[in-house]
Amino acid sequence: MSKSLQCQLCDAVATVHLTQIVQGKVHKVHYCEACASKGGATDAAVFQLAEAVTTVATQPTITCSSCRFNDLEFRRTGRLGCPDCWPVFLGALQELLAKVQHRLQHVGRAPVGVVAVGQLRHRLHEAKTEMEIAIAQEDYESAARLRDEIAQLLTQIPES
Amino acid sequence: MTVQDILAAENELTHLLGAQQAIVLSTRIRLARNLEGYPFPGWAKAAQRQEIAQKCWGALEKLPRFKKGHFLKMNELSDMDRAVLVERHLVSKELASGKSGAAVISRDQTCSVMINEEDHLRIQVVKAGWHLRGTWNIAEQLDDALSASLKIAFSEQLGYLTACPTNVGTGLRASAMVHLPGLCLSRHMEKVTRALNQDGLAVRGWLGEGTEAAGNIFQISNQQTLGLSEEVILKRLGGWIKVLVEQEWNARRKLAQEEGARFVDRLARSLGILRHAHLLTSAESMNMLSHLRMACDMGCLPEVNRHLIDRLMIEGQPAHIQARQGKECESEKRDSIRANTVREALATFPEVVSPTI
Repeated sequence: MSKSLQCQLCDAVATVHLTQIVQGKVHKVHYCEACASKGGATDAAVFQLAEAVTTVATQPTITCSSCRFNDLEFRRTGRLGCPDCWPVFLGALQELLAKVQHRLQHVGRAPVGVVAVGQLRHRLHEAKTEMEIAIAQEDYESAARLRDEIAQLLTQIPES
Repeated sequence: MTVQDILAAENELTHLLGAQQAIVLSTRIRLARNLEGYPFPGWAKAAQRQEIAQKCWGALEKLPRFKKGHFLKMNELSDMDRAVLVERHLVSKELASGKSGAAVISRDQTCSVMINEEDHLRIQVVKAGWHLRGTWNIAEQLDDALSASLKIAFSEQLGYLTACPTNVGTGLRASAMVHLPGLCLSRHMEKVTRALNQDGLAVRGWLGEGTEAAGNIFQISNQQTLGLSEEVILKRLGGWIKVLVEQEWNARRKLAQEEGARFVDRLARSLGILRHAHLLTSAESMNMLSHLRMACDMGCLPEVNRHLIDRLMIEGQPAHIQARQGKECESEKRDSIRANTVREALATFPEVVSPTI
């Protein structure tokens, strides 16, 4: 009986065998199922695990200057590094956010003492549109309510 | 304060007569919050996590709601104690499996705050039965009180900044634990799950993400957190729970009508087995207790017994049994202890009769 290949990361029998061709050179990696799945089992993650043996590093393309978190880490964990990562990664996350979230503008609460002017402006814009529709539909009750809301919002938004 | 104190204390979910309701077991609000200027727990260094924990802990100690509460550091608890907290839904599996997290639990076990889980702070409020408004109001108060003393990471465009893109915005996960044996028995759950998913609601088993729906109990929660206000999220969940409760009643009535004696027989057999078995696995007891809970809702058993069934469901979980024994036990030993507890508890139960509803 031929001897089974050993996992490159532990002593178990390798059952996941991958071939990577980099700059014309063929690299083969062998993992047991546990080590392969620890790496997320996706090609990118597995090959990230393979870096050590293949000496080919996948370079991060985005790095947060506050906490040094990068996009490779995000691919591995699906989580960001710190609050400052958000503006840094927002462009790259647009597609994902559009898929899992309703809209890319927060419309809820804010911490005590924070006046979310942007949110108020956003609501003002919405309310104006809603009022126009209400008037067009001759729904004067709603239009009056929206007019009051707009007046209220205008008092809350500091003039720029 | 220890986990044993939590087990021994009477609380709404296991003891409070009258708090329990048909179909909706509990309502839960969870808010994810983070401190400005610190990496999220998964990326923070040990020293930073400790600093974060101290700040959060300090802020929580000042809140009246946590007076005489339980302040627990995960690295000071045994594996068994941590598992009990998970089974009680007081902390998540993720917090329990790491050593650097902490949890602060109010004395009445209604409010708990996890520190250094996926986010710096996870505020959670749970009430027995369906109380979306009441639960939300408490969570909102806690959130305001914490944000008055801690600098919370927030952006105008993205709202509360969280480690995971699925929580950003409101950071709100509102959920209800619902008991749906009627919809399960009439094989409608798949259809129901699809409809809920399409409207942005998630359906999970009773221990949350990735768990099975033991005892026909499901957790229904919102998925989207950004671009919808808290008000809209709560309203949408509320609307769906109302529909689900109606559908569940319809399914139960239809089953009772169509099956007649077979329907009552199923419930009575479950009582028979629970009252006489000497070995009960967790899954078997959950499924049979589910039948008894439905029997209480429908007048087949006196309604006053409902809280006892809820207690047996919670206390029959593996870690709870071991914690009561004060030591780890093999699964067959656990099945035997579970069966004994259930047998004793149900010894004086009346017979199952035909439904009145």
